Amino acid sequence: MNAPFGSYIRKKREALKEQDGRYSLRQVAARVGIEPSYLSKIERGLPAPLSEEKVRALSLDLGESPDVLLALSGKISSDVQEIIRTRPELFADLIRQLKEMPDHAVLRLVREVRDGNW
Amino acid sequence: MIELKDDTLAFTFPETTIPGARLVISFMRTLRVPDDGKSYPLPPGLGKFPLEHVDDYRQRLPHSWIDHGGVMLPLYQSEALWINFTSSYIEEHEACYPFAVKIAAGKINAVTGEPWSDGLSRDPQDYMVVPGQPWLDGYSVDKECIRQFVAMPLGKGYSAEGQITGREDVGGMQIVVYPMKKEAFEKRWSRKAAVVSKCVTRFCMIDNDMGLAAGGRIHQEIYEDRFELSEWDMTASSRCFVHLANSQTWRDITGNTPPTKAPSAREYSSHGLPWFEYYSDQKPLPGSNVLHKLKSVIQRGKEKRENPLPENDSVEPEHIIAINRPQSPERVREWPEQNRYERTSGPGGPGDD
Repeated sequence: MNAPFGSYIRKKREALKEQDGRYSLRQVAARVGIEPSYLSKIERGLPAPLSEEKVRALSLDLGESPDVLLALSGKISSDVQEIIRTRPELFADLIRQLKEMPDHAVLRLVREVRDGNW
Repeated sequence: MIELKDDTLAFTFPETTIPGARLVISFMRTLRVPDDGKSYPLPPGLGKFPLEHVDDYRQRLPHSWIDHGGVMLPLYQSEALWINFTSSYIEEHEACYPFAVKIAAGKINAVTGEPWSDGLSRDPQDYMVVPGQPWLDGYSVDKECIRQFVAMPLGKGYSAEGQITGREDVGGMQIVVYPMKKEAFEKRWSRKAAVVSKCVTRFCMIDNDMGLAAGGRIHQEIYEDRFELSEWDMTASSRCFVHLANSQTWRDITGNTPPTKAPSAREYSSHGLPWFEYYSDQKPLPGSNVLHKLKSVIQRGKEKRENPLPENDSVEPEHIIAINRPQSPERVREWPEQNRYERTSGPGGPGDD
């Protein structure tokens, strides 16, 4: 597992632990379903692969976006992969074109809830 | 902008706030508290209601729904719900980004009982501030007391809208969100050293349109705004109309099965499952004189010599969990852990101030 991911997890968990003892290494590992020593390795940036399912469980436990943690861990969500696989050229091209666009311009492409007359 | 994702409404203002500022609103299934004059603790969350864009079902919905825009959710008659608010935690400022949220049902403000108006008012305060206000369970009828939101068909005279305006032609719920001005946020919470960067034919639904009426009493406070009115950015609001579809027609509209009916308060309590109390040192609003006069569904039914609600026996909640800081991980209205009986306002971390 890469260092930025581990460092991010550790800082987030320790910040939560200051508020709530349930965020000890041992308890978080138990809730996620991995050994504490394994979580410790991840947090130290040592080689320790984590499945998408476990990254999602970790993000849920820490209140983080699964997409952010998956990206930090070098993964792409399986549903996103599936979307790309259906139209690989189109989406690859789209993502390359969006690369330089500012956040607010990209956000406009996300489907908004339409407000009407009321 | 408002994005519908995972059955939540995410309000963002990317051009006027700082990156990451986001308010998330979800609608939680819950049991209906008995309307017996007693004030009950907060009932649990039984999972989120599904939300759908009305635009995705244009051909199966009445014109008025399409005209209103927004989203829709399924509710059984007499089913209750509560609203869950979560603002994002901005690590670089070590604070959650504040938002002012105004909620109405049938265009009757749930905090003041006044008809819908744009903007924010301080006298009386007609909105809530998130973080600080984790949930809203109903109409603010008294200081420290609300009457639970309960779904009733429009046109029968039970809804708050009908009782206050004499008409029942709007229904649904209305939401408007205003972010705090970026400069005000940055002044209050200066940037810290970086921590971590970061099919039915058209019109057939009309008879099934639902509004919200007043149910049983719940102990819940609506808190006074602790910021200056000038700190809210009134130029950058986002509005959403939330339509309430009768669950019995939800499958016809969407093809999806609606959630099952919630258990009764007695069924829930008899299994030893918990209720919740929320404690905060924030100053509560006094409650609305207009809403104070609202008649509950049971009271209204007696006047009309009708029995509009299924039996809902009084209960004595024995297992009550106290929550005193909803922006910390322990804010979860949850029992037992990892099941669906929860009260949560999402991730936040320290510093809801």
